[in-house]
Amino acid sequence: MAEKIGVYVCGGCGLGEAVDLDAVCTAVKNKYQPQCPVIKAVPVLCSSEGKAAIDADIAEAGLDAVCLCACSPRAKWDVFTFGDKIQVERVNLREQGVWSFNKELGALEKAKGIDDLQLICNEYAMMGVVKMIKSNIPNPEVPETCKTIMVLGGGWTGLNAANAAASLGYDVVLVEQAAALGGKVANFYKTFPLSYPYTEAHETGLDKLITQVTTNSKVSVLTGTTLEKLSGAPGLYKAELSGGQNLDIGAVVLATGWVPGDTKYLAPMGYGEIKNVITTAELEKMAKDGPIVRPSDGKAPKSVAFLINTALCSVDSCPADVALECEKEEQAPVNPPAEGEEAPAEAPFCDLESQRHLALSSELSSLVALKQANYVVEKDPEAAAYIFYDHMMVPGINERYYKAAQDNPGVMLSKAQIKSVKAGANGSVVVSMTDTLLGEAIEIVADLVVLPTSLVPTTAHSPVVNLEYRQGLAFPDLGLFEGYADSNYICFPYETRRTGIYAAGAVRQPMGLALASEDAMGAALKAIQCVSSANRGVAVHPRSGDRSFPVFNFVRCTQCKRCTEECPFGALDDDPKGTPMPNPSRCRRCGTCMGACPERVISFDNYNIDMIGTMIREMQVPAKIEQGGPRVLILACENDAYPALDMAAMRGKPWSPYVRVIPVRCLGSVNAIWVADAMSKGIDGVLLLGCKYGDDYQCHFVKGSELCNRRKENISESLKRLGVEPERVDQFQVAIDEYDVVPSMIDKFMDMIVKMGPNPFKGY
Amino acid sequence: MSSPVRIQPDPSFVRELQAAGGESVKKCYQCATCSVACPLSPAENPYPRKEMVWAQWGLKDKLMNDIDVWLCHNCGTCSDLCPRGAKPADTLAAIRNMTYRKLVGPAKIGEWMSSSKGLPYLAGIPAVLWLFIWLLTTGLSIPAGEIKFSKVFPGDFTIDPLFGAVAVFVAWSFYKGVTNMWKSFASLPTTFEVGAHCEKPTLVQAIIDVLRDDLYTHRQFNECGADNTERSKGHWALLAAFVALAIVTSVVAVSHWGSKVPGFHWLHALGDTPMVLYSPVKLLAIVGTVLGFYGLTMLTRRRLNLDAQKQGSSFYDWYLLGVIWAVFVTGLGSMVLRLAGVAGLAYPMYYLHLVAVFMMIAYLPWSKLGHLVYRTTALVYARMSGRKPLTRVEDKIFEI
Repeated sequence: MAEKIGVYVCGGCGLGEAVDLDAVCTAVKNKYQPQCPVIKAVPVLCSSEGKAAIDADIAEAGLDAVCLCACSPRAKWDVFTFGDKIQVERVNLREQGVWSFNKELGALEKAKGIDDLQLICNEYAMMGVVKMIKSNIPNPEVPETCKTIMVLGGGWTGLNAANAAASLGYDVVLVEQAAALGGKVANFYKTFPLSYPYTEAHETGLDKLITQVTTNSKVSVLTGTTLEKLSGAPGLYKAELSGGQNLDIGAVVLATGWVPGDTKYLAPMGYGEIKNVITTAELEKMAKDGPIVRPSDGKAPKSVAFLINTALCSVDSCPADVALECEKEEQAPVNPPAEGEEAPAEAPFCDLESQRHLALSSELSSLVALKQANYVVEKDPEAAAYIFYDHMMVPGINERYYKAAQDNPGVMLSKAQIKSVKAGANGSVVVSMTDTLLGEAIEIVADLVVLPTSLVPTTAHSPVVNLEYRQGLAFPDLGLFEGYADSNYICFPYETRRTGIYAAGAVRQPMGLALASEDAMGAALKAIQCVSSANRGVAVHPRSGDRSFPVFNFVRCTQCKRCTEECPFGALDDDPKGTPMPNPSRCRRCGTCMGACPERVISFDNYNIDMIGTMIREMQVPAKIEQGGPRVLILACENDAYPALDMAAMRGKPWSPYVRVIPVRCLGSVNAIWVADAMSKGIDGVLLLGCKYGDDYQCHFVKGSELCNRRKENISESLKRLGVEPERVDQFQVAIDEYDVVPSMIDKFMDMIVKMGPNPFKGY
Repeated sequence: MSSPVRIQPDPSFVRELQAAGGESVKKCYQCATCSVACPLSPAENPYPRKEMVWAQWGLKDKLMNDIDVWLCHNCGTCSDLCPRGAKPADTLAAIRNMTYRKLVGPAKIGEWMSSSKGLPYLAGIPAVLWLFIWLLTTGLSIPAGEIKFSKVFPGDFTIDPLFGAVAVFVAWSFYKGVTNMWKSFASLPTTFEVGAHCEKPTLVQAIIDVLRDDLYTHRQFNECGADNTERSKGHWALLAAFVALAIVTSVVAVSHWGSKVPGFHWLHALGDTPMVLYSPVKLLAIVGTVLGFYGLTMLTRRRLNLDAQKQGSSFYDWYLLGVIWAVFVTGLGSMVLRLAGVAGLAYPMYYLHLVAVFMMIAYLPWSKLGHLVYRTTALVYARMSGRKPLTRVEDKIFEI
């Protein structure tokens, strides 16, 4: 709790001309004089003079917090730092006050004697001050942690990850379930190119890599071993291995790779029924062992057709889609069990393989077909290899390999829709197809037909990590990614839904060796970031370095288990009674638990229910909507929505002067009480601005905006019971680049509120 | 839906085609920029995009029956604009080369004509043949007195019967080639006409049209996208030279052999050799020679200046240019040396001339010069079947 707050109002960037700075100071002084020994307006706060003035006040007046009413916290953050003893609050008068102020509307109001811009600035300044008053400097407990990195899987990715982590000075335990290292790559004849000029397939270099790892004293290799159980938290993991070994582990790199897809999905293309229809996995093995031969007669094929358009396999001829059934189960409403009731038994693990893995592997199918077509010509220069594709997917530098392969006279390519694959005379296979580049429906006779092998992640078949977490053994919601151990590969690569476990390689998404090496390095670095955050008691990501942590007031806890169930990261276990047991190093500090708790027992030192509640109370609501206008509270996610608002303001896109924006860590942290407080105070509407949710979610905490939306439904119900229009509380999805539409979203909501009229509770 | 066509890809054909001048064919990724850019391509089933994919797949039957490779006049616009450097123009030229090679037998000549490795055979046959005749007539010695080439190579008993036989062989080969070609075109799908019905020309009308509108004007050359002045003028001049010299040869032959027919003795006055320089026939020969040198110079200069990144030259191209150069240089040389009275050089020069002429004429159906007949045939067929270039409403201008 800040007791001596310095309040500074900046006059730079046009603030001084647009707003009466002294009036802002006076407003603060009138209410918070005792807590604020220094309240002053400064011409340019970020100048060296401005900064020096603050430093001087801190020294002289013994300030423990500064409240800087200037620009967005996203600007000048490098200037306004005062050491870890001084709390800093940035009040965003520039973007959310002056730059986004609707001047036309402002002029109309001013004619009536109301200075909206001044009101906005005064209120934001007061909010900043009360925020400081309710805030403490967090002081996390620093546990004794272990920094060993466990790499699960001794294939290409795992070896690279072990190498990477060891080269950076960390102890590594490499766990491989097979008797030897190497994984799938051990069966590769060649890989498509990994280095300049990227035109020819070459040996993988696996042996060299294995030697490098096995001779590294930092790495201990455990082959023929599996992970039976992983309990604890990042920095404090206890790994129970199949040999009965128990290890202390800091973080985990998950590199368990893939298994070939079930060939039953290839049945519509003749696999199983026709002898000379094989998969790329089978051909690779043949090429590795010697000549390529036909299974039917052992003769070398003169023509080999690679069919990488597997559209035929995606039709209903395939077995029932198991993944869909899983999703159905998941969509069942999650009702928190009533008090005293036993927690439901863990949902059984559900296998996620489906024919969709063929399509998901198609980038690799293209490259593998090109590579193997080259094998065919390499092993028999007279032979021809045909590739029939729907999309030739060779992103990035692999384009060079595609060009080189295309240049081979024995390799022939065409787009095609495969219509049928049938047995022909003398063991040949007849493929008929339409929509080819050759301009007509064609039929081709091949000695051998090769179908793609899909890369099914090991996490689609089993939990793999065998976590001793309240939320279960496996990663949650992998159905969304067809079993690939991913969270959101664009925004948060390598991160899984379990802090401390970082996925790399084909278990994350189908990829070749070049990408897998890169992945291995990325995941190893993430694991290192994790162990060197856990040992300081700070958050790993996305709030890297955040010292705050959720504090539980167990006295009031009713053991409803909402927090333990809703935590997107499974950070909370519980005791047999249902009392949550926090694991700070698993926690990402989003505050979803705080938003979930109906008893409001969860808080952070510098972010809590009371703090935001008090800030809301600083909003001055005019008694009549006709005089002074309506009021709307915006709770904006500080990750994407808040920057989008900033950017809109920077580009001079104004929004309604009747809204007040309060940033929140994540919409997941929004507690219904805030909305209730706002509505009972007479505020006419509450707008929740957060990230996109659903299949294509962008929420930095994965489930926050989705959970908030679910809670909003409950709030709507309550509002209806009270006779208040439920439309007054709404949630909009904003991406960080949607700054061009954010102001109109706000204005549209405001128009709706105006049409609806005042909040019936206004004035009570 | 039509039933699927069974295709038989042939990688060895792809390799042959690459060796015959289409080495970049595999680079094509079927964007069809070439078909859009081609100034001569018809609207329906345009070329050369489809030829490129057929060539990549080694579908030789389709390519050997393809009329469109003959409609192409090799201006190189497609190669200029190709984003992959696949050089469609070179591929079409290579396909034509493959046609010269495969359309008629004996296959051996086709093979010799396909690369410089065959050159010793091609030159060796006439060299030995004429040397043998020289041995028979004067025992390889230079005859004394006025220089008369008939002293060494008497027309009646050596040149005329030999070239007569060669001409019959060539004519027969062309007859077979043209028939094969015509039959293969007949397997092409007919062109459907949309809109106003237009009368299709008869065979005779089509031939007349081709001679008048295509050959005489060189219209297609001029319509080709890039600046073709050099190529168009050179090609026209060389064609005119051939026509002029063909007339001269015919006059000489007719006057010589015709005069032996009783009652037509007077014919010999027309073309007794050697002729005086002011004889109209001799003048025509000189004009032809000048045109020939002009055309050769233009065409050779253009080919030497080609941007190798865009267009290449195959053995077929250089063989033809080389042989024609040899014919003209030795022909002119023989005349000049004869007039100068240098017997010791004049006779050997004439010998070389005969070797060169033999090399040009005897292998004609398998050489690039075969296009004289095959392209004309294809153009006639195209006119009859209505396969015409896309009518242009505005000039296509390409800037790179």
